[in-house]
Amino acid sequence: MAKQKILIANRGEIAIRIMEACEELGIETVVVYTKEDEASEHVQRVLREPSKSKRAYCISSYKDPNEIFSVCDEAGCTAIHPGYGFFSENFRFARRAALRSRPVTFIGPRWEVIRDLGSKINTKRVAKSLNIPVIPGSSTPIYNEMEAEALAEELFFIQKEQGIKHPSILVKASAGGGGMGIEEVRELDAFRQTYRRIQNYARRQFGDEGVLIEQCLTDYHHLEVQILASRHDEYVHFGTRNCTIQSTGRQKRIEVAPGFDPKMVNYPFKATKVLNDIVEHSLKLARHVKYDSVGTWEWIVTRQGHPYLLEVNTRIQVENGISARISRVRGLGQPNLIKEQIRCALGDELGYSQEDISFEGTSIELRIVAEDTKRGFAPWCGTITELRFPQYEWATVHTHVPTDRPYKIPTEYDPNLALAIIWGPTSQDAIDRAKEFIDNTVINGYGPRGESIITNLPYLRERLNACLRFE
Amino acid sequence: MIDVNLNALLRQYRSNPYEELHIETPHTGIITFNVKVGDLVKGPSGAWKERPGTTLFTLEREGNVKKITAERDGEVSFVRDEVDGEFCEAREHVVTIRHRLSKDEIINFILRKVLYVFEAPETARYYLVPELEAVRDQKKEITLSPGDDFLIMSLMKRDTFLKYEGPKGTVFRLYFKPGDIVEQGEPLVGIASPEDLDIVDKIIQRIQSEWED
Repeated sequence: MAKQKILIANRGEIAIRIMEACEELGIETVVVYTKEDEASEHVQRVLREPSKSKRAYCISSYKDPNEIFSVCDEAGCTAIHPGYGFFSENFRFARRAALRSRPVTFIGPRWEVIRDLGSKINTKRVAKSLNIPVIPGSSTPIYNEMEAEALAEELFFIQKEQGIKHPSILVKASAGGGGMGIEEVRELDAFRQTYRRIQNYARRQFGDEGVLIEQCLTDYHHLEVQILASRHDEYVHFGTRNCTIQSTGRQKRIEVAPGFDPKMVNYPFKATKVLNDIVEHSLKLARHVKYDSVGTWEWIVTRQGHPYLLEVNTRIQVENGISARISRVRGLGQPNLIKEQIRCALGDELGYSQEDISFEGTSIELRIVAEDTKRGFAPWCGTITELRFPQYEWATVHTHVPTDRPYKIPTEYDPNLALAIIWGPTSQDAIDRAKEFIDNTVINGYGPRGESIITNLPYLRERLNACLRFE
Repeated sequence: MIDVNLNALLRQYRSNPYEELHIETPHTGIITFNVKVGDLVKGPSGAWKERPGTTLFTLEREGNVKKITAERDGEVSFVRDEVDGEFCEAREHVVTIRHRLSKDEIINFILRKVLYVFEAPETARYYLVPELEAVRDQKKEITLSPGDDFLIMSLMKRDTFLKYEGPKGTVFRLYFKPGDIVEQGEPLVGIASPEDLDIVDKIIQRIQSEWED
């Protein structure tokens, strides 16, 4: 491999995980940060390490591509890792990286693939053409209120025809993601107000007021398939995940791999077959678009066992760690999917096939967030004074929050504190261990008015009981 | 009812009618200074402020050159000469301007002490609600009553509608640019109740007649 230097165009825990993956691959890294993020460990860790060259640059915004490319050139980087969020699914950014006068490698799929799959609408269209099941709803962004209302009316009508007692639809910002900019409408009369609110939100947050409308499935599990593909026509999967436990704003809070466990839960359908089906459908689509990186195929599975493809995330996922934790690759051991993503982007072959991958046990990810789960998961702002996690061989923690000094949570970003990845030989063991981990975690802090910190730890502990089950 | 010692406030501003303006690089790029210490600089001028102020420095980034101009009049008191021609990071302090406060600025500072000021409850981005933004666009007076939705606080990617909780009155000053980050405790909106409007006008008239620019 030619000498590489990777710019990490992200923040927080994922910036640290990318840094560690690069260290293991012997690749130099450079980080960027905003003034608000100066105290984050993703910056301070780099500043503490002795280095011959400058490795941390202050930029005006993580969302300004000119800032990223400007630092990339100044620091002499050969590649950019976008992490998740920000530019990770922006095909224009990936295209610019590839086509500029000083090209740099985008650590992710080719830009054409991001363009085709990065949009929920395109994904839906391609999936439909391959007979992969998708949720009924709009297949292009809607900008016209009358058109939106007509489709909403039709979707309510269809659900009533199907005998659904409480029909509802979802209104989504088409440029959104990660659960942001999504609202449910239960009555047609309330549609117009919600539509306008989402349209305004989309315009402010994403600069595009396009809105998607689709049938809201209420009794379902949210599953994912972890795919890895190289630029040499190699396709493997690292199993499934269950991400059903989410905040009211549809942000994931607990993820479990594998996606269902028929040994622990009695499902009203053939769970193993459903998991196999969604894996096969996902690989079919990946091969069709010549996918060439890590990616997540998101699925809805109803209580009746009907799967519907939701979207494809053409990037590393927050929860990639639990898929890696249950996977074993012959000759490699437990994989690191961020390392695999970097290797693939730099042109390496995988060096193994699906037959070399086996699965062992259950892994759970807890997203530890400073938020008030009793007040609509309202983000909590303030200063962390103490953050302590128990040490177990079956638990791994990823955090950007310093543990040796107070840390003020920047209000510009989500108040995520840490990810804890727990493993157990069975699902019940993993759940019990996750509870033990929570019970021995210490987080202290104070808010702007001196009030105590609020975190979602009690919520996570309680919701562990619902893991993998239809409630 | 407004209770303010205007004489004391005016004395305070007369003793030191200056403000130090610290100019930072808005983004990364190679910096080239156009001013030196002691230079007098002008802020934007023209009826609509259509003529930009004096160019302080340029930043070249990705082949594009951006001029950073003075936002207010004053004298350059500091230039970070050692970075001239070098790559600068964002938010680096590179120039200081010593600015003499104008009559309007004195009025603004004093009004902050006499109006009912609604402060930012959190460090966040703030926007007027669309209905009030439309009123403002039409250059009409915005009136607020307790309980009115009047601001959107955008914090940690979530929008929260803020309800007005002060005396009924007219929005006299907006202290923020919609979409900018406002620090917790900084003023957002200055409101005058109907019975205070006369006093506010008298304060403005007195400063207008007594303060020399």
